[in-house]
Amino acid sequence: MSTAWQFYITTVLIYLGVDVMACWGLNLQYGYTGILNFAYIVFQSAGAYTYAVLTLGPAPRASFQQYIAGANLPFPLPILAAGAVGGVLSAIIGTVGLRRLRSDYQAMVLLVISLIATVVITNATGIFNGAAGLALIPKPLQSGLNLTLIGYQWFYVAFVALCCLIIYWFVRRITQAPFGRSLRAVRDHEQAAASLGKNVTGLRMISFVTGGVIAGISGALLVGFISAWSPGSWLYQETFVYFTALIVGGVANNAGAALGALLVPVAFLEATRFLPPVGGPGFIEALQWVTVGLLTLGFLWFRPRGVLPERTRVMALPEVAAMARPDATRLPVGGPQAADPTAAPVARNPTVEDPAATSGTEPAGGRP
Amino acid sequence: MAELTALGFGILTASILALAAVGFTVQFSVTNILNLAYGDVMTASAFMAYVAAGWGFGGWWGLIAGGLFGAVFSVALNRAVYTPYIRRGASLFTMIIVTIAVSLIIQNMLQAIFGPGFFSLHVPAGASVHALGTVLTESQLIIVAIAVVAMLALHGLLRYTRLGKAMRATAADPELARNCGIRTGLVTDAAWLISGLFCGMAGFTLMVDFGSFQSTTGGAFLVPIVAAAVLGGVGHPYGAMLGALVVGVASQMSATLINPAYSDVTAFVILIVVLLVRPQGIISEVATSKAVTA
Repeated sequence: MSTAWQFYITTVLIYLGVDVMACWGLNLQYGYTGILNFAYIVFQSAGAYTYAVLTLGPAPRASFQQYIAGANLPFPLPILAAGAVGGVLSAIIGTVGLRRLRSDYQAMVLLVISLIATVVITNATGIFNGAAGLALIPKPLQSGLNLTLIGYQWFYVAFVALCCLIIYWFVRRITQAPFGRSLRAVRDHEQAAASLGKNVTGLRMISFVTGGVIAGISGALLVGFISAWSPGSWLYQETFVYFTALIVGGVANNAGAALGALLVPVAFLEATRFLPPVGGPGFIEALQWVTVGLLTLGFLWFRPRGVLPERTRVMALPEVAAMARPDATRLPVGGPQAADPTAAPVARNPTVEDPAATSGTEPAGGRP
Repeated sequence: MAELTALGFGILTASILALAAVGFTVQFSVTNILNLAYGDVMTASAFMAYVAAGWGFGGWWGLIAGGLFGAVFSVALNRAVYTPYIRRGASLFTMIIVTIAVSLIIQNMLQAIFGPGFFSLHVPAGASVHALGTVLTESQLIIVAIAVVAMLALHGLLRYTRLGKAMRATAADPELARNCGIRTGLVTDAAWLISGLFCGMAGFTLMVDFGSFQSTTGGAFLVPIVAAAVLGGVGHPYGAMLGALVVGVASQMSATLINPAYSDVTAFVILIVVLLVRPQGIISEVATSKAVTA
């Protein structure tokens, strides 16, 4: 394989890894908890800026770029800090945006936050160098490893893949656990979840912050690779690409999110890269965005659950599950309460009725 | 006297914002769809005015061209896109993704057609008018007058006509309105038509005021629109008027006295403060438990 091809393939793989990771974070928020986080890209860029300033070193007085909080931290710290900043920023924004507002107001507020963040960072040149953004950001471990250019590319692919595995394990732990069930309950029926004693706002907040941490880490990995970052790379539309990826791939399905990341931001945008240049400047790019919008509308119309739909979860009712328990058959037929006339309703409980009747009925989804 | 001059510009901005915010909120109160494509319909209307100027209908004709285009386009958008999705059972949640997808499509179609450059709409500026320490040109005063007339007309419509009554009834309870024999489908169309008319006029006046615009200008104006609408309580046209006045004046004051780049930031700060201090103003009786209305 020629060097150019290796370079191209590794680059695409790294983008894919970053996008998959970001989609998992958004999937946690949108797919599993039902938060329309239209500011998702802001958390990714917050992570990216954090990584950048923590590796660039203190800002020199006379330099082409100015930024705050410059430091020169060793390898894993800037990436972890990026995740932390993504999380803290999520906590702050969540406190304002995730109060008990209707979900569409939340979305509107988050969209406005995304718009305004771009305005602030673009105009406040002292914070992250304004519209020009930051450049010459060091790549993680590049100076220490002494690899060739291609060797480092492959190293970075492996590193991103490892991060993806860790994040996947983490997200899966959340979504498979009873906690994930609580999140889905909040998503599907807020009032019902609240009536069962679930702290709806708290659960939303946890999911929002966790997604923010993942977004921050993905931003750090992205900027560590491309070595430059500016407000133009995180306009609010970029969030929409991830939403489209989830809707195409399959909402609330981690495999679907990964598939969506492969199909929309990577395959679709890479494929159009090879189109011959037609029209004026920005013409193809504009049509790309139109297509992304149409893709969302089309999937919402024809296949709203995506290519890989959410797994249908069937659960037995508690008493049915108890009925299926092996020890249920060993309950005494009469029992000590049978003599007590006040315990008459107990007789209606199937678990104390004729054991022969219950042993034959094994409900679907019950315990073996 | 910089403050008084800023107040003059603030009233100008508030007028444009009132047109936009009232249009946004009238449609929302009746249909319960939070239309995030609103700003982009404004841009599209301004481009229509730009095209009309090329056909020889320049100057203030643009207001009519933009307003009519906004009205027709909004109704078409509702009939062709939003209503079908609602009929399919799309939730509020899905509808907001639909509206943002539409926003993206409109914005980038405009960019594909007109290119990424800047465009401008011209009206004869007229002489400067000094009054009470404020300095505005005649054209700017005409914009203020347009907004005032539009607000009064809307007030008359909502208050004194059968259609206005039907719209208020549909906003309060669409099912009950339908059962009372109100043709809510027509009322919804009327709401989109009026909203689109306001949207188009706001688009034209905004681009005249800004001097130059591009395909993303209207979308970015969503920040003060949302701030004004939320401040007034989403779904309340009179609240939106008041919200527009506060947000418009405050953002122009801060732009003149602090930094012109941050006029949107002021609007944003107002939005956040409202959300923190008076969230119950947002969860108003109109907007709590309704489903979307087609």
